[in-house]
Amino acid sequence: MPHHNIKKAETMSFSEEVTCRHGGETLTACYQCGTCASSCPVARLDPRFNPREVIKLSLLGEREEVVSGDAIWLCTSCFNCQERCPQNVEIADVIYALRNIAIEAGHSPNIYADFGAALIAEGRIVQISKFVEKKREEYGLPPLKPVGVEDLNKILVATGFIKPEKTEASQ
Amino acid sequence: MEQPKVGVFLSDCGKQLSEILDFDALTSFVKTIPNVALIARGSEFWRGKGLQTIVDAVKNGKINRVVVAENITKISDVNIAQAVENAGLNSYLVEVIDLKNHCAWPHRNTPKEATEKAKAMLLSAIERAKLLEPIEKLEFPALKSALIIGGGIGGMQTAVDLTDLGFEVNLIEKAPFLGGLAARAGRFFPTDDCAICIQPPSSDVKTITHTSRKCVYRSGFSEIPNLNILTNASVVAVDGVPGNYKVTVEKKPRYVDADKCVACDKCVSVCPVETSDAYNANLSKRKAIYINVPVVHPQVYVIDEDACKFHDCAKCVSACPTNAIDLDQKPEQVTFNVGSIVVATGFKEFDPSAIKEYHYDEYPDVVTNLELARMIDGFGPTGGQIMRPSNGKPAKKIVFVQCAGSRDRRYNPYCSGICCMISLKNASLVKEANPDAEISICYIDIRTTGREHEYYYERARDMGIKFVKGRPTEIYADEEKGKLIVDVEDALLKRFLDLEADLVVLATAMVPAEGTAELAELLGLDLEVDGFFKEYNAKLRPTETKQRGIFLCGGATFPKDAPTVSLHAHSAAMKAVKFLTSGKIVKDQRTAFVNDEFCGDCEFCPVMCPYGAISLEPTTEDHFVARVSDLLCEGCGVCVGTCPLNAIELRHSRPAQMEAQVKALMSVNGTSKPLVLAICCQECGHTAVDSSGMAKLQYPANVRIIKVPCAGIVRVNQILEAFKAGAQGVMIVECKTDGCHYEVGSEKANKKMDFAKVLLKEYGIEPERLETFKMVYIEGAQFAEAAQMMTDRVAKLGTLKLLGDS
Repeated sequence: MPHHNIKKAETMSFSEEVTCRHGGETLTACYQCGTCASSCPVARLDPRFNPREVIKLSLLGEREEVVSGDAIWLCTSCFNCQERCPQNVEIADVIYALRNIAIEAGHSPNIYADFGAALIAEGRIVQISKFVEKKREEYGLPPLKPVGVEDLNKILVATGFIKPEKTEASQ
Repeated sequence: MEQPKVGVFLSDCGKQLSEILDFDALTSFVKTIPNVALIARGSEFWRGKGLQTIVDAVKNGKINRVVVAENITKISDVNIAQAVENAGLNSYLVEVIDLKNHCAWPHRNTPKEATEKAKAMLLSAIERAKLLEPIEKLEFPALKSALIIGGGIGGMQTAVDLTDLGFEVNLIEKAPFLGGLAARAGRFFPTDDCAICIQPPSSDVKTITHTSRKCVYRSGFSEIPNLNILTNASVVAVDGVPGNYKVTVEKKPRYVDADKCVACDKCVSVCPVETSDAYNANLSKRKAIYINVPVVHPQVYVIDEDACKFHDCAKCVSACPTNAIDLDQKPEQVTFNVGSIVVATGFKEFDPSAIKEYHYDEYPDVVTNLELARMIDGFGPTGGQIMRPSNGKPAKKIVFVQCAGSRDRRYNPYCSGICCMISLKNASLVKEANPDAEISICYIDIRTTGREHEYYYERARDMGIKFVKGRPTEIYADEEKGKLIVDVEDALLKRFLDLEADLVVLATAMVPAEGTAELAELLGLDLEVDGFFKEYNAKLRPTETKQRGIFLCGGATFPKDAPTVSLHAHSAAMKAVKFLTSGKIVKDQRTAFVNDEFCGDCEFCPVMCPYGAISLEPTTEDHFVARVSDLLCEGCGVCVGTCPLNAIELRHSRPAQMEAQVKALMSVNGTSKPLVLAICCQECGHTAVDSSGMAKLQYPANVRIIKVPCAGIVRVNQILEAFKAGAQGVMIVECKTDGCHYEVGSEKANKKMDFAKVLLKEYGIEPERLETFKMVYIEGAQFAEAAQMMTDRVAKLGTLKLLGDS
């Protein structure tokens, strides 16, 4: 059930903080059956990530462990868990919500900063390599159009992705 | 009618009320009211000498209406009504009010204001009493008979109880044989005995003892003289009223004459058609003419219509030594007149093929618990051997998967409740017979809540059955190994297991039986959120329904284990007997009636009535009027509140009475605050007022209480009238929507109040002056709070100005 954000942030428990975010609404439906864990291709390979555990820690309010840890960044968004969860917990979406909280708290792997910088500078998070361009040509696909970086930046400012730099006047 | 002579009996509850209220002032006030023939003061009137005072006054003809100001916490109204009735006056000519909990206690800090409110309350009660009318007792004939739908363990046990008590019982079963789901389930927990074992009826003179229990086929069940068993039969139409139902049953042809068949097996041996045996989980073949298992009832063969070649073959016809086979049998309809109906249609296994990742319809070695039970049964398709359906080889490694379709919001969000025990029982039976079997049970939570149930869990662990805490994500086939693999995380170890299995058993959810919704429609019953039959009240009336003559039993209301089905069956039987045992239904005519002069050609009330008590009767061509069945009417008044023409009224709560009461309550203020009228339903609303008084919570005395049968009775014009009579604010105090004692009253009231608010605005009255409050009995504090809030709100709005006011 979606929670409505009626409490002040300081008095909210961590699970409330998650459920009042877009994507995090279904967190509390979890009853730890573990279907997500056995569905997860990453959990088998990397002991640092187990979706059931991420959900449990969030429910128990272990904010620091979840937000500053590696686990939430290891999800590949394959959505297997979400597809099979018997309680309709939107696990992958909950993890997005957790990532947003982590980024706001200043915890994000460097690569995300690189992605962000590339997006602002070049309009794409990943540079298009010569290899990709060549492959497109091989398959008869048209070359990728250049991105309107200036227009994109306007959108990024408007949506708050880029925080406008404080001018002297606004101070 | 005789002029009303009202006797007013004022109790000071052992002087505790006279410390707050000025009783001399109350007495002098009452003396001024016309038609008051007697005033008496005392310390109590609900018993002893006080009650005798009332009885004497009634007996010597001094009074013909009784108003008692007592203390409702002492069930005074019940006692007084009974005593008055015994004294020869109709008990509906009594009005009891509670000066203690509705006035003295909640206003103890403002005794002068409380006294003025008490005057208003007394005037209101007297004005109502003057308009009260006697209500007669009605009798309706009722048949001491029942139709039981469903021949499983629940239906059979209800049949034994009812026939033992002298009822004529018709038991109908949809399948060709009795036994239902129970018969297929093999053994039962916690007694570990056979499913088809029942307590014999008392008509079984030869063997009946306190200790005996027997297989159905030899229990004497089928020979009970007042029991008529119909197999292959289902209900197609239901008509009539409680006590007198007419039920039409369609009997599918069996093609074998039960009176001639001697169950010799000759027909089966000549039948050339082999088909899959659904009763035995399709694990074996059977002929087109067959019997489920040798121990069934009736001991009569049946022909499978879909498989038989009929006259193209007819080998059985010539083989039958008693000429019992009739290939030309047609479906026939039978009609039963019965007093009551018991629904015992049970539940069934959920089809797990919906859970794609478990591949139930793809892998033959993925089976359900019921299919495993057929293998465990010695009469089953494998003769008790646990084997892999894919190749018939013994299954050594077995994995159970719990909650297959239960506790799953995609299919059935509820816990089916019995599947943990079924798996523990089946796993233990398999392990007992095959000690070298390797059995694992994958679970989310093991739920063994019944008596002795935990011991099954203990025993299973003791036997070496392994438990894995985790719900598998997938079952897949390892073609090379020829095994199934159950992919699961053991959450306690945080380890991923690929469990190898010869056989995977799904503990499937239990869902409503086939045809439940259709039957509910025929019987006029409701289904609860998960699709099972809804009982009248889960706590108090678990086997009754909103249709007074229809009862529920067993798995029809929710999956149940055998002991619970038994309890339910005996309860349903008891309720049916209680309802019909006197051969008549007696009830007070506390019902609605229609004024034909105003009624016509609208269909509001029949649609709104929660009890189906109102029908439409043609008058002249193309015209009709509403008719209320006194038998079905529960006297809530939802119809009254619905009628756009004010053409329908309740005998025990007439609009004229309410109008007189409101005027009286608004005629005396005596406080500095604006008058607020609280219209309270007699159920939760009025009792919340009681409980706020009992708790001595304080609220202002300008709040005046009027009791109505249900909030649903209130008409929009009555709200407007209340304002006209002097109310500055109106509160509707009612049950919570899903707790309404009359199903829909609270909900209907809300819609009307929303509409009333729109009208108020049109008339220039602030809509905030009308507010609805929902509470339950214990929420006295909420009532006191609401009363204070409304007083403050109305005071802030200032005095109401009505059109035409000078």
